[in-house]
Amino acid sequence: MSTTLTDRTVSTWNDRVTIRVRVGGDGPPLVYLHPSGGLAWDPFLDRLAEHYTIYAPEFPGTTPGDPYAIHQIDDLWDTVLIYEQTLRGLGLSAVPVVGQSFGGMLGAELAAAYPDLVSRLVLLDPIGLWRDDAPVANWIAAPPTELPGLLFADPTGDAAQAMFAMPEDPDALASAQAAMVWNLGATGKLCWPIPDRGLGKRLHRITAPTLVVWGEQDALISPAYAEEFRNRIADSRVEIIPKSGHIPQVEQTETTYTAVSAFLG
Amino acid sequence: MKVTYFQQVPYRDLPDDFAKRYAESVITTPYFEVTSPDKVHSAFREALDEIMHAARAGFDAIAITEHGQSSYDMAPNPNILEAAAAYATEAEGIATGIYPLGRSLGKSREPLRAAEELAMLDAISGGRLIAGFPVGLAYDANVNNGVPPAETRLRFDENIELVLKAWTEHEVFPWNGRFHQHPAVNIWPRPLQQNPHPPVFVTGIGNPRTMEFCLNRGFGFNYFGWFGAKVTGRRIFDRFWDAANRLGKDNNPYQMGFMQTICVADTDAQAEKLFARHAEYFFQKAIGSIPMERLALPGGIDIKGLEFIFRDPGDFGIYAKMRQASFKELVEAGSVICGSPATVRAQISEFAREFRIGNLHAMLQFGSMPHELAKDNISLFGEQVLPHIQQIWTDEGWNHHWWPQVLGGVPHPAGRQASTENEAVTAR
Repeated sequence: MSTTLTDRTVSTWNDRVTIRVRVGGDGPPLVYLHPSGGLAWDPFLDRLAEHYTIYAPEFPGTTPGDPYAIHQIDDLWDTVLIYEQTLRGLGLSAVPVVGQSFGGMLGAELAAAYPDLVSRLVLLDPIGLWRDDAPVANWIAAPPTELPGLLFADPTGDAAQAMFAMPEDPDALASAQAAMVWNLGATGKLCWPIPDRGLGKRLHRITAPTLVVWGEQDALISPAYAEEFRNRIADSRVEIIPKSGHIPQVEQTETTYTAVSAFLG
Repeated sequence: MKVTYFQQVPYRDLPDDFAKRYAESVITTPYFEVTSPDKVHSAFREALDEIMHAARAGFDAIAITEHGQSSYDMAPNPNILEAAAAYATEAEGIATGIYPLGRSLGKSREPLRAAEELAMLDAISGGRLIAGFPVGLAYDANVNNGVPPAETRLRFDENIELVLKAWTEHEVFPWNGRFHQHPAVNIWPRPLQQNPHPPVFVTGIGNPRTMEFCLNRGFGFNYFGWFGAKVTGRRIFDRFWDAANRLGKDNNPYQMGFMQTICVADTDAQAEKLFARHAEYFFQKAIGSIPMERLALPGGIDIKGLEFIFRDPGDFGIYAKMRQASFKELVEAGSVICGSPATVRAQISEFAREFRIGNLHAMLQFGSMPHELAKDNISLFGEQVLPHIQQIWTDEGWNHHWWPQVLGGVPHPAGRQASTENEAVTAR
C-alpha cells in the first residue's frame, strides 16, 4: 500500500453509530464502498488515489474495535440512511461512487435513493439481484476451502494467495480470522439468506451514468447479471474483464483500472 | 438425579456407503433417493413405541429435540411427538415429564405459536411440561429457516421474553418488538403451571454468555455430550459452575442437564457386540456428517467467542474426526457410554458427581439401532441403571427448581422470573 491514509469519523444515527471513513489520495473526492469481508486497501485503490481523494466508509461492525455497531442496524433502509448521513457529513454530494460486490449493492441503493448524491457510479460485480436460473453462490455459508474458487478465476494465482495470506502469530491469526468471519456476519445481515432486498425495483431511479464491470469468470455471481443491471439503469454500459473472477480490480488490476478511469474521465 | 429418556427420529436405514455418496446428513441429503415410505412410517411408529416403553419403565421425562431438513432426526417439531406422549401417558396414568428439549427460539418466526403449543402440552399433560429452548443450530435456524445468522441471538432474546410474558401475563397486552408486532396477546390456553411458569432449560454448546443468561434468569442449562464429555466435560461444566460462583448463584446440580448416548447389555463384551456398529452409524453418518459450516456461520457467534474458538477449538471435542470415528474412539472420548449395567452405572455416576449434573438425558436409541434392540436397551437401563442413578444427589438435599410441581419440583424461591428484559426486545 503506497497511499497514506487518514481516518475521519462521522457520528450518525442519532449518535448511536460512528462511521469510520478511511481517506487517502490526492484530487477530487471519490467514494469507495467495500465488499462483504470489510475494507482492504488494495493496489487498485492506490492507483485511483493518484487522481482522487478516496473516501472509504466502513460498514458498521466491520471497524476494528467497534464490532457491536452492527447491532444498531436492523435492515437495508437503516443502512442507506446511515450512508447518506455519512456522505453529507463529509460534505460530499454529486460524487463518483465505486462499489465492489456488497459495496456495489450499497452504491446502487444509495444512487437510487438519493440520485443527487452520486455523479457517476461504478459497480464491480455487484450483488443485489437474483435469478433462479443463475443463483448467487452463498459465500457466507461456503466452507473456507471453497472461497478462493468462488472469488478468483485462478484460485492458486498471486492475487488469490495475497488475499488469503494470514498472519503466522497465533494470536494475530485468531484475531484476523475472527474479524473476517465477524465482518461476513455483519454484512450478511443485509444479504442472508438470499442477497436480494428488492434492488431490482429501485434501479430505475438511478440517474448517474453507470459503468457495470464484471469478471468474465465470476463464480460467485454470474456475469449474466451484468445485463440485468444494464437493462434497469438508463445511462449504463457493461465492461467484461477477461481472466477474472469476482474481484476484477484485484485479479486484473490494470485492465480494470483502465476501464474505470476511462469511464470516470 | 432426574433421568429422562431422550428420543430422536433417525432414518434407520441409510446406505452403507452414505459417507462416500453424500456430502452431509442435513439440508442436501436427497430424500427420495435415500428413503422409502414404509421405513419413514416405521421410524415414527418405532420412536413413539420406544417413548411409551421408556415412560412405562419409569423414566422421569420424555425429552425430544428439533431438527429440520435432517436425515438423522426427522422431527422438525418435537411438540407433535410430545403431544402424542402427553395424551398416552395421561391415558395410562404415567407421571412422567413432557420435555420438548428443542423448540428453538432463535429459529422461530412464530414465537407465539411455540408458546401456544407448549401451553397446550402443559394442559394436555396436567402440568407436566418442561420447556427446552435452544438458541438454534446454524443450519436449522439460518439455512433451513432463513434467519440471518447475526439475528439468531437477537430473535432468541426477544422470543423468549414474548413466550414467558404470553404464558403468564394476566392482562391482554400489545407487543411491539424488533421482530414481532402483536396488537393484543392473550393466548388460550395458558400453561397450567403458573408458579411462576413451566420450567425452562436452555441448551448450549459452551458459550459463556448463554450460561450466564441461564444463571441470571434462573433457567436450567442443557449440554449435549456428543462431542465427547471425557474431552469437553471439564471445560464446559467447569465454565458453568465457575460462572455460577462468580455471579453468586447456588451450585444446585438440578440446574444442569446433560445428554449422553448410552447402551447397556449383560456384559461389556455383549454390549460392544450389540451396539458398536449402531454407534458408529450414528456418529459417522449423522452427527459426524454435519459439516462445520452447517454448525457455525458468520454472524452467529460473537466476535469474542470467535477469537476464543480460533485460538482453542477444544469445545468441539472429537467432532473433527467423528466421520471416521471407530467405536473404540467414541468410547474413549465419552461420546458413548457402553457396557454392562455396572459399567454404565459407574461411568454415569462419575460424570454426574464430577460435573454436578442433576438431570441426565439418556439417548438409548440412536442411528440404525433396530426397534427390538432399542427396547432391550431401554428395559435393561430401566431395571438396572435407572433406580440407582436416580438416587444421585438425594444425599445433598437440593430442591429441584426446574421440574414441574406435580412431579416433585419446588418453585424457585426467587419467584417470578418472567419479567421482561426491555433491551432484549427492541432497539428503539
